Amino acid sequence: MTGGSAVRHRRSQGRSVSGGLAVRHRRVEGRSVLRWVTRVGCLVAAAGLWQVLTATDAHLWLRFDRLPGPGEVAARFATQLTTRLYYLDLLQSLIRILTGFALAAVAGITVGVLIARSRSAGDVLLPLLEAVRPIPAIALVPIAILLFPTDEQGIVFITFTAAFFPVMVSTRHAVRALPTLWEDAVRTLGGSRRHVLWNVVLPGTLPGVFGGLSVGMGVAWICVISAEMISGEFGVGYRTWHAYTIVDYPGVIVGMVTIGALGWLTSSVVELVGRRVTRWLPRGEGSGA
Amino acid sequence: MTLTGQRVEAGRTGLSFRLDGAGFGYGNTTVLRDVALDVAPGEVMVVVGASGSGKSTLLRALAGLLAAREGRVLAGEEPVTGPGAERAMVFQDDGLLPWRTVRRNVELPLAIRKVSRRERALAATEWIERVGLTEAAERLPRELSGGMRQRVQLARALVGAPRAVLMDEPFGALDAQTRADMQRLLLDVLRDTSATVVFVTHDVDEALLLADRVAVLGRTGVKTVLETRGGPREALRERILKEL
Repeated sequence: MTGGSAVRHRRSQGRSVSGGLAVRHRRVEGRSVLRWVTRVGCLVAAAGLWQVLTATDAHLWLRFDRLPGPGEVAARFATQLTTRLYYLDLLQSLIRILTGFALAAVAGITVGVLIARSRSAGDVLLPLLEAVRPIPAIALVPIAILLFPTDEQGIVFITFTAAFFPVMVSTRHAVRALPTLWEDAVRTLGGSRRHVLWNVVLPGTLPGVFGGLSVGMGVAWICVISAEMISGEFGVGYRTWHAYTIVDYPGVIVGMVTIGALGWLTSSVVELVGRRVTRWLPRGEGSGA
Repeated sequence: MTLTGQRVEAGRTGLSFRLDGAGFGYGNTTVLRDVALDVAPGEVMVVVGASGSGKSTLLRALAGLLAAREGRVLAGEEPVTGPGAERAMVFQDDGLLPWRTVRRNVELPLAIRKVSRRERALAATEWIERVGLTEAAERLPRELSGGMRQRVQLARALVGAPRAVLMDEPFGALDAQTRADMQRLLLDVLRDTSATVVFVTHDVDEALLLADRVAVLGRTGVKTVLETRGGPREALRERILKEL
């Protein structure tokens, strides 16, 4: 190959590499748009099916004749959005869940690490925790009513209990699954137990901890809504149940949609923070949401 | 005093090791029994042995990660009772903390010793440059090749000016070319320090390239210790292979 043709060859190679990258970039973008279309399309299809079933008063094995349609619910939702009470309920539920969840996160991570790292702490705490763990948090409502001076504290307690166990169990497993190599490395660099805790255990268990936080958030929503339905005076759960008792079915569905949206929002925040703080994990191009 | 100064000064006083009738094991399994070995301050002692002969066990014992079941393990005049910063270790599977960048991994031993941020940054920059990773300083370990990760481990082990460096088959998983590059880098880096080096490998050629003395480990402990300087290399190679 002559000098000139070699240069031309290299140039054409360079063009084909950058052209290849551009094509790949367009393909990835195209896939991303398609995924969003699929996601939104799925929601629209579900709403469409709901509309058809309620508009035709379908009476299959399930009965749709008494269920309000999406139009009716949307109108009701629009009305609710203009009332102060709706936002008061929303705020009340959010305060309850965030307080219970934050306490559960701190306590769950602390106890999980303690049990996994200290045999004596495990001997003291594990029997009690394992005895309480199978009890559904919502079954503790009577105890919460007896123990706490106000309903508010009782509801936070129920939320805390619901989120605590997934966080604690995930943290415990994550600590135990840590490769000993990291700890050995820090110890041979002069690190004490405290250094191992801060430099290895806490950052190294974050993927597992965030798995627990994600599950904990979901369970916390189930329990806060249930607790509000039983003993609340405000909150989305209370309002939804109240709507049912006065035969306001569109109001019930507005409550359900609100709970779904809040649950999705808070879980997404946990997921997002989790992804941010575990950026060091190897991730495939196509993985994740 | 600068950290560079500390390193050179500490390098002048490499740590000696003595194993005297030492035995080691895990659970019900005894791995090594009645091991006797002296490592002089500042020397490069390479331990060779077949897979399962207990090379890594011996190194973990010197690092203080494994207690002796019998006999004595001394670092200098003191019995080894646990790990310490004066005995840094380089692992075969990189022991880098994956959530820390190259720079923050290298700074770790200094952060543990509460060295000021500025001093840490200066020392880390110097060592990262020495191992040829300046452009990768802000990358995470998962973004590095195997050879680059071992370079980071080497920098991290040496930045804290240890009196001994314990290396557990650090180049065992690398391809031939990278391995040769790493061996050259190690020899270059060790030229400026008199820290004692105990290096474990199953590669006899690597042992002959790096060692002042080679200890051959067999099922019954240390079979022989051979000087590598001065003698004909091929004869020494044959002798080690015969002992293995």
